[in-house]
Amino acid sequence: MKKKILISLTAIFVISAFCIWYYVFQYSKTHHRKVETENAIIVTPDQIVKAYQNNEQAANKSYLNKTIQLTGLIAKRDKDQAGHITLTIKSGDPFTNVFCTLKSLVNTSTPDSLITIKGICSGFLSDVVLNDAIIVNQNKEN
Amino acid sequence: MKKVTILLVLLFTCFALQAQKIFATKTGQIKFNASSPLEKIEAVNNQVDSKMVDKTGQIVFSVLIKSFRFENQLMEDHFNENYLETSKIPKADFKGFISNITTVDFSKEGRYQIELNGTLTIHGVSQKVSTTGTLTIVGSKPTITGIFKIKIKDYGITGLYIGDKIASEAEINVKCEYQ
Repeated sequence: MKKKILISLTAIFVISAFCIWYYVFQYSKTHHRKVETENAIIVTPDQIVKAYQNNEQAANKSYLNKTIQLTGLIAKRDKDQAGHITLTIKSGDPFTNVFCTLKSLVNTSTPDSLITIKGICSGFLSDVVLNDAIIVNQNKEN
Repeated sequence: MKKVTILLVLLFTCFALQAQKIFATKTGQIKFNASSPLEKIEAVNNQVDSKMVDKTGQIVFSVLIKSFRFENQLMEDHFNENYLETSKIPKADFKGFISNITTVDFSKEGRYQIELNGTLTIHGVSQKVSTTGTLTIVGSKPTITGIFKIKIKDYGITGLYIGDKIASEAEINVKCEYQ
């Protein structure tokens, strides 16, 4: 009986050690957060920009590191130094917008057309910054 | 008489303001490397906000710590939660001057060695930093590159693995292409 318990305990220990090792060294090396499957907080560009302008600390509590989904007009489309596509989404304030870096190279609409995107909020510099963004919906007719 | 002087000063200030140009980017790149022989610890931030004034050499770099991306998600989470405490202190910045800006001719293509002096604030702790870099002008657009090292403990960042799995000195590699 004792032997059986000992064997099963050892087995459990070995399996859990393997699982931890796998999660720490293998799984997390290749698996990143998936914006696609995460539930998003839905806001307007104006809302999130105003929240950050009024009280950055409080806004960080609500939005930092969370998945945000918003719809707005594209002010500018560009590329960063690593070749990712970046989109600036207009808010009510012409000096402060929502700056998004897209996760993958996709065709995006031209400036002044409506787009819905989803991304992880990194915080606030001169714009509210979203990272790893994906396009949920866009109007390509414009 | 006094009024005239003030007016003249204001007038010259206006000219001075017109004559200087501000270069800016929102997509500068900063790489962070604190690898040790035991582990590769590297991250890239492609959302660096930077502004530079050509006449005075004033320069600012601002980064969101959350925008540093690691290959390993778990490492990124640890970096944010345990070391940099991103939810409390989401930003880092460098504010300073290019002290030999007068040697740079912004209208001429070329490479210029620059000296940067200023204050680097990481994890809410400010330290004076002096380093050198390169300013390259191509097609009237400047690019600044530079590599310098910081001691992680100087910025109040503590953790079990610093100096062991994590190098005690991190290398910061800056490359900003201005518009």
